[in-house]
Amino acid sequence: MSRDWQPDFEKLVDEHQSMVFSLAFRTTGDRGLAEEIAQDVFLALDQSIGRIESPEHALYWLRRVTMSRSADALRRQRVRGINLWVEMDENHGAQFEPRSSPLSARLEGLLTTLPSHQRAALVLRYQEGLMPDEIAATLDSPLATVKSNLQRGLKLLRAKAESQLKEYIRGT
Amino acid sequence: MELEPKDDLERELEQSLVQNLVRLPAPPGLKRKIMARKQARDAERKHHRVVFWQRLAASVLVCAAAGGAVTWHNVQERRKGEEARQQVMVALRIAGRALDQMNAQLAEHDNGK
Repeated sequence: MSRDWQPDFEKLVDEHQSMVFSLAFRTTGDRGLAEEIAQDVFLALDQSIGRIESPEHALYWLRRVTMSRSADALRRQRVRGINLWVEMDENHGAQFEPRSSPLSARLEGLLTTLPSHQRAALVLRYQEGLMPDEIAATLDSPLATVKSNLQRGLKLLRAKAESQLKEYIRGT
Repeated sequence: MELEPKDDLERELEQSLVQNLVRLPAPPGLKRKIMARKQARDAERKHHRVVFWQRLAASVLVCAAAGGAVTWHNVQERRKGEEARQQVMVALRIAGRALDQMNAQLAEHDNGK
């Protein structure tokens, strides 16, 4: 752990805004909400910046808080009876970046149809490249639950992909 | 819990996820909005701090004034008590002197008999 490291808030925003926004967006499925979550997460970071000990700690802290805030936002939306993913599914991933490839958009679209805990585990696994134990620490879940969510999520995704994405996957 | 072995399609799917689930670029202006909100919050905090110290200073001033008033009142009371005591002492001295004179006159009167 680098004791001499002094956190620079602006630099941390520069470095991690894309990661925070992507996690929030893929978890909630709402661009506006994801942007709001990203802002709140960085403001929370500013408040806790004195306790951040290293760049790795900052990254871990940001992932953890982003996932927790996104889950809270989804819960709040569910309580209010809004299902963002239904709206998104109807658009077949149209909300995603226009620069993304057809396969990417289809994969994103399929991902949106997964239950939220499986989606969260898959996003951390494949977007962030985390190992199951790191995902468990980030989501504050037991390792077995994370492994099960990854496996079930992949199986579900595979079942959907077999009917919809085979031509893309084989074609890449 | 052990992960089950993967077949070709699953491996290809995983590969596709790794290749396609990349970080999205942050919306333009996100950093600017974060910095603006941070500045606004810092300014608000600073304002709250100033108001807090102003209130504290005002409270200290009021407490000091109240304390001063109580002390002044006590001093005045003590002074008045002291004055009253002095007056009683003077009255007693006068009464004592009058009694002494009366005693002297009575003694003279008794001797003259």
